[in-house]
Amino acid sequence: MAPISRRHLLAAGGGALGSAALAACGSPVNLPSSLEEVTPRPGRPNRGGVLHFGLSTDPANLDPHVTTGAASDLLRQLTYNALLQYDGDGEIIGDLAAEFGWADDTTYEVKLRPGVRFHDGSRLTTKDVAFSFRRMMDEKTAATTGPLLDLVEEVEAADATRVVFHLKQADSTIPFVLANPTANIVSQRWIESGADPKTQVMGTGPFRFVERIPGVSTTYERFDEYFEPDLPYLNAMVFQPMSDDYARVTALRTATVDMIDYVPATHVDVISENPRLRFASDRSFGFGFVGFVTSKPPFDDVRVRKAIALAINRPSVLETALLGHGQPIDGALMPPAFARYSGSLDNTMDHDPEQARFLLKKAGQEGLTLPVVTTSTYSVIARPAQAMLPGIREAGVDVRLTQQEWLTFRASVEARSYPVHSWGTAPKFGDPASLSDFLGSTGTFTANTDFKDERLDQLLAEGRRTRDRALRDEIYRDVEQRALELVPMTWTVRRQQGEAHYDYVKGYRHPPKGSWTGVTLRRIWMDKK
Amino acid sequence: MRRFLLTRLAQAVLQLFAVGTIVFLLVRLIPGDPARAALGEGATEEQVAQTRETMHLNDSFVSQFFGFWGRLFQGDLGTSLLSSRPVMQDLPDRLGNSLELVLVSLIIAVTLGVLLGRVAATRADKPADHALVAGSIFGISLPVFVVGTLLLMVFAFLVPILPPQRFTTPWQDPVAHLQILILPVVTLTAASCAVITRMTRAAMLETLSADYVRTARSKGLAEQRVIKDHALRTALLPVASATTVELTTLIGSTVLVETIFGWPGVSSLLMSAVGQRDYPVIQAVVLAVAAVVILVNLVGDLVVRALDPRAEEA
Repeated sequence: MAPISRRHLLAAGGGALGSAALAACGSPVNLPSSLEEVTPRPGRPNRGGVLHFGLSTDPANLDPHVTTGAASDLLRQLTYNALLQYDGDGEIIGDLAAEFGWADDTTYEVKLRPGVRFHDGSRLTTKDVAFSFRRMMDEKTAATTGPLLDLVEEVEAADATRVVFHLKQADSTIPFVLANPTANIVSQRWIESGADPKTQVMGTGPFRFVERIPGVSTTYERFDEYFEPDLPYLNAMVFQPMSDDYARVTALRTATVDMIDYVPATHVDVISENPRLRFASDRSFGFGFVGFVTSKPPFDDVRVRKAIALAINRPSVLETALLGHGQPIDGALMPPAFARYSGSLDNTMDHDPEQARFLLKKAGQEGLTLPVVTTSTYSVIARPAQAMLPGIREAGVDVRLTQQEWLTFRASVEARSYPVHSWGTAPKFGDPASLSDFLGSTGTFTANTDFKDERLDQLLAEGRRTRDRALRDEIYRDVEQRALELVPMTWTVRRQQGEAHYDYVKGYRHPPKGSWTGVTLRRIWMDKK
Repeated sequence: MRRFLLTRLAQAVLQLFAVGTIVFLLVRLIPGDPARAALGEGATEEQVAQTRETMHLNDSFVSQFFGFWGRLFQGDLGTSLLSSRPVMQDLPDRLGNSLELVLVSLIIAVTLGVLLGRVAATRADKPADHALVAGSIFGISLPVFVVGTLLLMVFAFLVPILPPQRFTTPWQDPVAHLQILILPVVTLTAASCAVITRMTRAAMLETLSADYVRTARSKGLAEQRVIKDHALRTALLPVASATTVELTTLIGSTVLVETIFGWPGVSSLLMSAVGQRDYPVIQAVVLAVAAVVILVNLVGDLVVRALDPRAEEA
């Protein structure tokens, strides 16, 4: 073998460098430019165009029955349908259901729309619906809606168009559950063929899945055989994950994308003042809360919990953390949009550092050192946590905030590593029955506080059984009243939350109540050439 | 040379094994559960437990470790726990996008840095030298995220001559690709170019006062030839070593640059995987980046040996 000369080595090195540079160009999916064209239709929504959407997260799991957050639900609702859905006003309407309602206290009936087809061309049947709910109720699926179906005895495909839900006992939450963004209907044949619904998509929705490139884009194109005439108006939608708040807003302001979700509070004014942008939001769903580990001292003493709750200066938190874009929650968690009793509990938890000091003294916790944990990953959670510290210090508490990355924070909260955690979320649906998640002994958020109260469990069960509106208001007012007395967690602020888009994007509505849903994305059209 | 190559390749294999093992252990030591990430915040304990089972996270540690290396030896980098996509489906493109940024930045930084270093050294203590030294200190001092954000603000908003665009490959639209390449490359190049300028200047100042350069001048050689063939060539040796270090620094800087400019490189894949504790993706990306760094160092050593015959003799 000939020796390797220096000249050969340099030539080979140069060649390798050049080859690497040439090979160095990955290719995300590129739609034909013809799809971007919009066809004007006077008097009707224009057809065509591609909507580019800057999404706050990159949903890795596309399973129609498992949510990883509101952003993943936006995607899911474009490719799948549930039996029910919310309209732009937040009222429940039919989705795959043409008719729906209670047959008696424990029987709920749904009649399917005719002519619905899956993306593979097969027809939707009532057997698919029954199968979908069986899949949601199967623990192996770990479906988001699964625990909400605990009172369902059986889902029966009664005939070719009718599906009947037989309940173990009355459950007023069923319509909300059927309208949940993860209560989607799948094809039994498709799932049983061995398809992986985490990576593949095959629903009845207005868009069909083209491709997902992790961290780069998820692309959908129009499904021409969608059951609603004329929908969808767009040719395609491209979702680009932009987890950084500033990057997402910049992408919108520079027209890299047409629309974004999760407008951060710090940018609401910038976007609202831009004449070309529209901000569609609500002040009902997203909220912050502080949870206490009630099984260990000092928070096994309700006086200490109440002292911290009274020490938080909620109006100041709202101004400092969210620049005033929201509302302080000094009473009921449920907002007036979906609880008529809400206003009657206002001002129950006003900022009162003197009373807080008094309670701490009575509990023998003067000069308490308080470790609090929150997450640095989401500004909507971190900022209120930072902003509540001065108020708590005013009550003589030495509060120390630890900020952790999201999953580390979740692990800390589950392990009860800190006596107090500051979090932010939204109710599963716009009804006081969703209080169970936070106050019921089996609630997913209650679990982190070790809190259990028999009276609250009884009230929550009673509220779930009752369909009478006035009686429900009374029950859930009692629930919230008791929660304000026992303080397993204390609510801080309700944030203004929404999506922003250019003025040429038409047809989108952000429901003010009902559910935090982006289902009206199905009706979007572009008013531009 | 052949023995050198074989030794370095054997070392590279050992280094990769060490990196793979450390990453395998580290990702499992950090708190956070991939099953939680896959299910969202409203999942119950039972649902999380069920998903852990499905993801084989309850398998014994030893079984997971040998499974990882066993698959790797068969060329299988694993499958994402969350998306169920084989890692090989995404990694090559993403690594390619990052390498494009890094290599283009490095080529510009080296070319410009050597040129400016030479200018500074040949005009030592003159205004041009002072300006270049001050400029290079400024370039080194500015963090990548400051340069990137400033460039974005100026050229996207104030003087919108390079507004952010959707990512396009050179095969789809070469002109658009060049446009989106400019700001991230300038961001990455700034600090590296400053380092190489200073390195070249310092090395050339030393060689310009060396005896063999004085001899060359006294023999009547043209000044440009003395600089190019005698002073610069010798001065390039430390620059070549520094370039390999700069390349690894550039790879690290892409994490921020890709985030600022929305560049679909390997860093965003890694960041997303870390955020979701997607163990196979983290392991594969770190191994791939480690392999690139090891390869770069090997190439760097070979270049030094090619430039300096004494290294080969040694």
